[in-house]
Amino acid sequence: MLPHDESADLVHRAQRGEAKAFTSLVQAFLRPAYSIALSVVGRPADAEDIAQEAFLKAFQSLDTCREPERFAAWLFQIVRNRARNLLDSRRLRDVAPEGARILEFVTLPPETAGMRESLLSALADLDIEKREVVLLHDLENWTHHEIAEALNISEVSSRQRLFQARQILRVKLCGERTQDGHAGSEKNHAG
Amino acid sequence: MEDRIDFSALDPRRDEVRWTRTVSALVSKAVAERHRRLSIEQQLLRWARPVLAVAAGLSFVSWTAGYLTANRAHRISTVENPAALNLAHWAANNQIPEPSDLYGTLGGN
Repeated sequence: MLPHDESADLVHRAQRGEAKAFTSLVQAFLRPAYSIALSVVGRPADAEDIAQEAFLKAFQSLDTCREPERFAAWLFQIVRNRARNLLDSRRLRDVAPEGARILEFVTLPPETAGMRESLLSALADLDIEKREVVLLHDLENWTHHEIAEALNISEVSSRQRLFQARQILRVKLCGERTQDGHAGSEKNHAG
Repeated sequence: MEDRIDFSALDPRRDEVRWTRTVSALVSKAVAERHRRLSIEQQLLRWARPVLAVAAGLSFVSWTAGYLTANRAHRISTVENPAALNLAHWAANNQIPEPSDLYGTLGGN
């Protein structure tokens, strides 16, 4: 992630219409935005669309960004809102059997698609907060400090969520068993 | 580090060409939109000053005309208006006018 002052500088330059600043912001934050969107909607294709739309929306209302040094947190809020809107419209549109998971696989070789399906399926067993943290940390390589700032949580929370998310994912992905022999998902624990 | 989950299968950057194209398209759209917005603001700023000057001039003319008209109306009503003169005359002389005079003075037929 970009340092605060650099982020603020890029936002100010983008407000003046500098193309290079836009490019830097997109390069720095488009994939993190995708991760946040994916955490909510669970479909990579939808997540990409949401991330791009959210970026355009953010650029349109760049003048309302009150803390340019915290651009990521502001952008993520737009991403979450868009993602939730899509979920709402999807719930109305899709007629899927209850509990069925709808996954998309496009333009990927079968072995990758298989891995992708496994990852998406495993992620579906986490709550959104843990998905956000684990994706920002393990896909984006963000530090806990950066994650905590962008998600408005403490670093301790970030560490805890990552730890729990990895545990659940590992059980799901590797078929590991917990000590009592029960491979439970978070939803099962919560329920 | 070894604890990391490998999410590379979900990484949209895996397809580098497509990712680069996506970034370029997004930046182009955003920059075009921003320039359009800035252009509108600049147009408004460019017009704002003369429009304000004209508005100020019009309001001055309007205020002056209103002031002069009001003065003239005041003079007519107090000096040239016979009804006002009659009423003032009766009041000064402590006279009580006949109802018909009063009616006639105030414009009745």
